Amino acid sequence: MRLGRERKALGNVANFLVALSVLVYLSYALPRLMPGDFVTAMFASSHVTLSAEQESREKAYFQREEGFALYLLRLVRLDWGWSYALFQPVSSLILQALPWTLILAGGAHVVASVCGFVMGVEAAWRRGSRVDKALVGSMTMLEGIQEMAVGVVLLAIFALHLHWFPTGGAQTPHAESSLVHRLVDMAHHLALPMATLVISYLPGNFLLARNSMVMVLGEEFILTARAKGLPEKRVRYAHAARNALLPVLTRFGLRLAFMVTGVVVVETIFSYPGLGTLLFNAIRSRDLPLIQGVVLFSSAAVLAVNMALEFVYTRIDPRTCHAP
Amino acid sequence: MHLDIMATLKGDRWFTMGAIVTGFMVFIALVGPYLVPYNPQEMSFQPFARPSWEHPLGVNDGGQDILSELVHALRNSLGFGAMVGGLALVVAVGVGLAAAWYDGLVGRVLMSCAVILMAIPSVMILILVAALFQPSAWVLALVLAGLSWPTTAKAVRAQALALRNALHVRAAVQMGGSAMYVIARHLVPEMFPLYLVGFVAKARMAVFMEASLAFLGLFDPGRKSLGGMIHCALRYYYMDTWWNWLFPAVLCLSVSIMAAGFLAISLERVLDPRLRSLWG
Repeated sequence: MRLGRERKALGNVANFLVALSVLVYLSYALPRLMPGDFVTAMFASSHVTLSAEQESREKAYFQREEGFALYLLRLVRLDWGWSYALFQPVSSLILQALPWTLILAGGAHVVASVCGFVMGVEAAWRRGSRVDKALVGSMTMLEGIQEMAVGVVLLAIFALHLHWFPTGGAQTPHAESSLVHRLVDMAHHLALPMATLVISYLPGNFLLARNSMVMVLGEEFILTARAKGLPEKRVRYAHAARNALLPVLTRFGLRLAFMVTGVVVVETIFSYPGLGTLLFNAIRSRDLPLIQGVVLFSSAAVLAVNMALEFVYTRIDPRTCHAP
Repeated sequence: MHLDIMATLKGDRWFTMGAIVTGFMVFIALVGPYLVPYNPQEMSFQPFARPSWEHPLGVNDGGQDILSELVHALRNSLGFGAMVGGLALVVAVGVGLAAAWYDGLVGRVLMSCAVILMAIPSVMILILVAALFQPSAWVLALVLAGLSWPTTAKAVRAQALALRNALHVRAAVQMGGSAMYVIARHLVPEMFPLYLVGFVAKARMAVFMEASLAFLGLFDPGRKSLGGMIHCALRYYYMDTWWNWLFPAVLCLSVSIMAAGFLAISLERVLDPRLRSLWG
């Protein structure tokens, strides 16, 4: 049985590794498919005029034929090239932006998952009641509203008209204050973007949790647990919700790839200094190495999370290793 | 079987609501461009003019009529969604059927491809392609369709595998029907409801994706789209134009996606009896 579990997880991990190689290869091959040469494409339409000597030097640099192996080696050594627009190494730019994205997206995920799961469990427990119906209806409506719309509406109401929250950034610049003040200030800036993400993640989590909980509640072991005279809370959480957890987690991995889009958009709306804003600015200034770096980095991160989840599933639900 | 489903769907409130709103949006997208008085590319009006009888939603920063812009944007966005939905569906049905019929090495290879594609965040590849090549919207639609078929293909394969062993299909094979004939005559029509689900889900995802990409400025700026409008309007958020410029675009986008979501949910519920017992 142990063997089966490990083999299954390894098989899935192999899939993700192949996906990662495809991505890395695409990031190597696509720029080489560009018509014409890179330097002309970059500078022909810009305001910068290169002297003949500069042009030949740039061309020599960008057209040197680099094999895939060398490219891989560069990737591993975090040597991801230089940003054209910001004149900094791509890897250091990414590492500077990463903590903000982790705080924002990670925090929103935790809040939305916990709230969504608890709400789903409670709604399923009161299935058919007015609370359940109202929650299902409103969440189905909310699911259709994407991050962009939520973000714009929150920005217009709470930042522009009520002035309760700042319109952008992650902290007040150049403010010298104590640690507590800084933390409060950061939380103040975080509130709106985080609320936007929570509002857009919550409905999906809620509906999933509710449905899988309803399925579990129909099982016979719930009847047994009740017949044993266990307290209601224990049946609800230790027996039912525990088993409703797996579908919620499985879908999380699949939805992660789509959630990345949302984070990029929300960070842009609130000009939060994370990876999304970095990518947005890179696109605006056609900063190709930076675009490539951020794209590759975030895809790898999504794949890594998915891979890690594979091992979590089998821990949480031993049944999965018997699945075909 | 199909008649049954239509009857159930008609009694479903979410479906009715979704169908009416989607129908209305598609109607505006199809007919609207002939009804609005101006060409959305015409830049001859006074920029930032307030809403008036000539310009019901005012004029944008470039001196273009916002109502005309909105209607054309809606058409482009929904068109993109329909195109991705259709293309992805064709690929998914083809791959799913092939994988089910040639169950074995071919099927296993096709399904491994599907699993690998599902793991790749498609938005990242789209951003890379759009930023490097600056292609037209149609090329991006092709790429997105090429990345988003796996989920539907898996569903098609599962159902086709079950159908392949059905009596009438086995009889058709027994009587000498070729693979092509049996697939086209028996398998393809039988799975009709599944196509609806696949199409609606993919089209919804594509409208969503198009809005995000346009918002990030990855499409040709001359092409009108809802995401692009939101992007432009947001730059002037401090002016008093947000309710006549920003809000209509946000509303159109949300309502379209929400209506498609209602359709998708009710279709899934009606087609999967296991799910039907969950609601209500």
